[in-house]
Amino acid sequence: MAFVRRKQDEPIPPGDRRSRGRDLSGLVESLRSEDPAVRRWAARDLASYPEATDALFQQLMVEKVPSVREAIFTSLTLIGAREVVEGLMELLRSDDASLRNEAIEAMKNLPEAVSPVMESLLADPDSDVRIFAINILESLKHPNVEKWLIEVLRDEEHVNVCAAAIDLLGEVGSEMAIPALKEVRERFPDEPFIEFAVDLALKRIGES
Amino acid sequence: MTEISISDEDFQKFREFFYRKTGIYFDDSKRYFVDRRLSERIIRTGNSDFRRYFNFLRFQADGNELQALINSMTVNETFFFREEYQFKCLVDSMIPEITKGKQPGSRIRIWSIPSSSGEEPYSIAMYLIENWRDLDLWEVELIGSDIDTEALERARRGEYSPRSVQNLPSSLLHKYFTSLPNGNFLLSEELRQAVEFTRVNLMDPAQTRSYRNFDIIFCRNLLIYFDDVSRRQAAEVLFDALVPGGFICLGHSESMSRITSLFRVRKFSQGIVYQRPEET
Repeated sequence: MAFVRRKQDEPIPPGDRRSRGRDLSGLVESLRSEDPAVRRWAARDLASYPEATDALFQQLMVEKVPSVREAIFTSLTLIGAREVVEGLMELLRSDDASLRNEAIEAMKNLPEAVSPVMESLLADPDSDVRIFAINILESLKHPNVEKWLIEVLRDEEHVNVCAAAIDLLGEVGSEMAIPALKEVRERFPDEPFIEFAVDLALKRIGES
Repeated sequence: MTEISISDEDFQKFREFFYRKTGIYFDDSKRYFVDRRLSERIIRTGNSDFRRYFNFLRFQADGNELQALINSMTVNETFFFREEYQFKCLVDSMIPEITKGKQPGSRIRIWSIPSSSGEEPYSIAMYLIENWRDLDLWEVELIGSDIDTEALERARRGEYSPRSVQNLPSSLLHKYFTSLPNGNFLLSEELRQAVEFTRVNLMDPAQTRSYRNFDIIFCRNLLIYFDDVSRRQAAEVLFDALVPGGFICLGHSESMSRITSLFRVRKFSQGIVYQRPEET
């Protein structure tokens, strides 16, 4: 047989900083290391330091390695403070599509921190941001999701934003959404897609 | 047994606490399971109600009760040669790729997490002995890890019920086990020595930091107990525990692609596994 046990006295590989002191300033310094593995581990360990939120966002703006970016997003999600949500909201305006998508994914996992800002996101002057807000609602585990979507149907002027909300109500909506769905169809009589989407949503909810 | 009442609020409070400590999230459908085990621990520790027990649990300095609670809340049901197709994949597909990049005689490191009471890592050892003819040319290090200390103790003891070994061909049962008077089976000393068992909480960075340079990880039916964020966190830990080019096997109902894009999907004839890309 060729089974062996771990050598107890195996030295730590040179350059491996995971075994060293992991205080805030050391980790923030490691976050800027040239070695992606060191940056990844620093990002991961900084999840225990809410005060590192700024440093994590700064690194995110220049970070090119997907695995490090992913670790930064996970740590920001774990920190989950108001400052994190504010930073993620800014990323929704980024030109980098993957940053935007990752910000949306992170916000989906922060229902408590995101709910206080959801109304302002849904009222953002930029219609793209309003659509991203609906993307967040798609898997946000929060009891107000349906209420927010119904408000979009009642107040929103942009047809694409309404279309996104109708689509989602087809999945998560209840009988409560039926009147708003019928009203939005009336508001956009020249948009065959809206008519089609509303009919589909009503069918899914159970009102044909 | 004395009736212990666990209110909805108690359940929520406990669920949050247990999630923060372990990453394991109990949804509402697990309510009965959680209530039953919580009641057992409340009575066993001499507390009269949930509130007293919860304070005791949170502020106990040595953390022994938390460990006892983890032991009772984790599910350890497994058996030898469970999802055997992955062991075939290990020998026929993963190991040939791993050895291609190594000098003969060097070390291949395999991690089984959660190892539960040892059935999985011992199955791997047995399967390698039986099916990999070049085994003697390499050093294979097999580590089994679990969060449950009682399961680890059972793994080290190597005594198994007839149910645990029911999937084993009788030739292997006779070759590697001795029948005990109580109807159980004792694994051979030789195989018990092939696996090292360690206690690890995958959600604790201080504990997982030293787990690295693995060529292959078996992490089956663990991530299903985690919520989305913990799953992603666990996936990142597993990513760094692998060498570039290393493989990870999940349970048949699990998919790494739904958790993260860090890994490459590899489709072998025996099944799908995930690989840490070489260039990372």
